[in-house]
Amino acid sequence: MPTATQEAPPAERNGTDLHRSPRLLRYLTLVMAAVLLLGVGWTAATLTANRTPGDESAEAGFARDMSRHHAQAVEMAMIAYAKGQDPAIRQLGYDMALTQQAQIGHMQRWLQEWDLLPTGTRPAMEWMPDAVPVGPDGLMPGMATREEITQLHEAQGAAVDQLFVKLMIKHHLGGVHMADGLLKVSDRAEVVRMAEAMKQTQQKEINELRRMGLADG
Amino acid sequence: MSISTPGGPERRPTVVSTGKKPAAGRPAAGAKATGAKAGPNKSGSAQRAGGGKGPRKPITPVKVSQGRSWGPIALFVAVGVLATSIIGFGAWATFKGSQSWQDKAAGIDGIVNYRKTDPESLNYESHQAGKIEYKYSPPVGGAHNNAWQRCLGDVYDAPIASEHAVHSLEHGAVWLTYRPDLPAADVEKLASVIRGNDFMLMSPYEGLDAAVSIQAWGYQLKVDSADDPRIKEFATTLAQNASIEPGVPCSSGNYTTGTGTEPRELAPPTGG
Repeated sequence: MPTATQEAPPAERNGTDLHRSPRLLRYLTLVMAAVLLLGVGWTAATLTANRTPGDESAEAGFARDMSRHHAQAVEMAMIAYAKGQDPAIRQLGYDMALTQQAQIGHMQRWLQEWDLLPTGTRPAMEWMPDAVPVGPDGLMPGMATREEITQLHEAQGAAVDQLFVKLMIKHHLGGVHMADGLLKVSDRAEVVRMAEAMKQTQQKEINELRRMGLADG
Repeated sequence: MSISTPGGPERRPTVVSTGKKPAAGRPAAGAKATGAKAGPNKSGSAQRAGGGKGPRKPITPVKVSQGRSWGPIALFVAVGVLATSIIGFGAWATFKGSQSWQDKAAGIDGIVNYRKTDPESLNYESHQAGKIEYKYSPPVGGAHNNAWQRCLGDVYDAPIASEHAVHSLEHGAVWLTYRPDLPAADVEKLASVIRGNDFMLMSPYEGLDAAVSIQAWGYQLKVDSADDPRIKEFATTLAQNASIEPGVPCSSGNYTTGTGTEPRELAPPTGG
């Protein structure tokens, strides 16, 4: 009986048939219901799958805050590279500066891909699961104060090595803490991968710095 | 629905005519007849027509004449609405998503884009030592000193050398300047926009023709009140984005943190 539909002239089919055949109507209804369901399902799936992290997401907060956290590490590492007394300190400074500057590039690229600005409108660290708000100085966990950075700039000889080891251990501990915070709340693949890598690298570097600190002291 | 059999055309009239009245009125007197006829072709439909609606026969004929099947109509409408909203949302998301920072900047009321209106003023040959004359006040780009003013959310409480600040602009910094006689409470409001943010700095500026002027490389916005929300909009939209050396840091390297409008040479001069 579906036969009827195909061979009927269009006008008749639209106008008359629809009212005449209950089965035809029922089929149409079923088809429409199927289309409707598919539509809803597709929309929901698309929205979930393609949704990139929003402006206030933990991922965006991590990318922005870790960029600034890293920027300070780069500054300290460049001083160690340029002025460190122990060749091992200079080598470590070189590694850290290049790695973290490249990671800043990765994180900034995410923000571009997510159509977000590099600067957030919420206070730093608010994205952390157990957020401790940053003070008026904007210092995130582990970050050195302006005065400490100035001291490092002005230090000479072995004092550079000692101060660098001290400041960078603290800095890395803060970095690991932030990476942990992201890992607690995010399942975004590229961000999780980066946070895990940061955590592992920085933990290893903490061990190395501690060893150097002991050797120096 | 589209399977066609040779008997189709012939059969149709009979099926349709018997089914016709019940069709409009739903379960009807004819339902059973239809069911009976359709039965051989498709048992499912026969069952439904005959079994489900059979018992109610007596009442339905009244509805037959009234026509309209609202269920399907509602469905059609729902599908239509859904399709429209999917397309609409897609279009909206595409439009929103495609808004670059330049578009966002252009949307800030009162912003001046010197990259468009006066690109020549931004050109320079190389880093240049000592005092430099600027066309605009405060300057928005062009030649500058080798050293840059540190722009790690730094809030300077005294005027700084434009020759260093312009180098910060080149690195993507947003430089907020204010008239030195601004009340302390206003200065604090401005500082709260800048402090703690990489690629931002702020200082008083002598002879400013507005209460507040905020600039990035090639961009400037002057406003009369420290409360103007466009200040923060400018800062967050242009910080780092306006860099013409993408990826270069603001916070480390050959920077100065000193105040005073006399430019300082740092480190061993690298020539020019």
